[in-house]
Amino acid sequence: MPESEPRLIRGYLQVLAAQLPGPIVEELTDGLTETYRSYRTRGLPADAAAEAAVEEFGSAQEILAGFVRVNPARQAARRLLGLGPVVGGCWVAALVTSRVWPGPEPARVVLGLVLVACIGLTFVAALGRRYRVAVYSGIAGCAGFAALDASLIVGTLLVAGRASGLTALAIAVSSARIALCARAAVAAQQNT
Amino acid sequence: MRAEELKGHLDAVLLAALEGGPRHGYAVIEALRQSTDGRLDLPTGTIYPALRRLEQAGLIAGTWSVVGGRRRREYRLTPAGIRALSGRRAAWRDFSATVTAALESATRVNTALENAALEDTACPSPNPA
Repeated sequence: MPESEPRLIRGYLQVLAAQLPGPIVEELTDGLTETYRSYRTRGLPADAAAEAAVEEFGSAQEILAGFVRVNPARQAARRLLGLGPVVGGCWVAALVTSRVWPGPEPARVVLGLVLVACIGLTFVAALGRRYRVAVYSGIAGCAGFAALDASLIVGTLLVAGRASGLTALAIAVSSARIALCARAAVAAQQNT
Repeated sequence: MRAEELKGHLDAVLLAALEGGPRHGYAVIEALRQSTDGRLDLPTGTIYPALRRLEQAGLIAGTWSVVGGRRRREYRLTPAGIRALSGRRAAWRDFSATVTAALESATRVNTALENAALEDTACPSPNPA
């Protein structure tokens, strides 16, 4: 928006820019500018046109809430939270029945801590009300889950030498989660 | 008509607004106003997240251009969007016909009951006692 256009509109866009990625703000700027110009064309003075345009556009909070709902990171985080118990259940069943524990105890403690951190980050992405926070925590959660799954797969194969039965199933669901995390992280990155 | 009354139908309405060709967000709102004679009054800003959602679902595709020094995102229907719009239209016609039939039938039944009550008042049935 050019400097000559009203402070009200610049302030409104600044509120949106503080929370939303650049491309979304550019699109909203274009829409708000068109709305403002349509009021100017109808003969309203600059300040009145700006007020009418902002009123017609809706509150900044309403728009931010709308974009938070369609945030790809939020949607991916919800899918990961739904998939988590399935992957976890498969690994618990596989490790308990095969009695194969990937790596020494300190490594398993680290894996447990990473798991807790990933779950926390994913909850923040799935439930958070701030767009950028959801994107960054979602990307971090995806990276963490992918690293965790890769460590479990490699660690189990190194210790057991081969995968059969439940272990093969656990490896398959973990691989599917790695693929989901990779796609989600790319989609989320495109929206930063 | 307000945004909340449109809940559940916003996607179909937006797809229909793009049926005539590619449009940017403000042009979509203008097209909706024109096609409904101004009866559809949505906060302009709220359609942008809806357009993003439709794009993520693969029903529309967005491209950037530069107009008057500003970047502008235009959307067009994808083949999946055209199929979805056709399906939504058919579903809406069925729904609309069903509800209209139910509402008009209820009106006819009420009118018949009112007429019968008026006839009873005008000509009371003979007392068997």
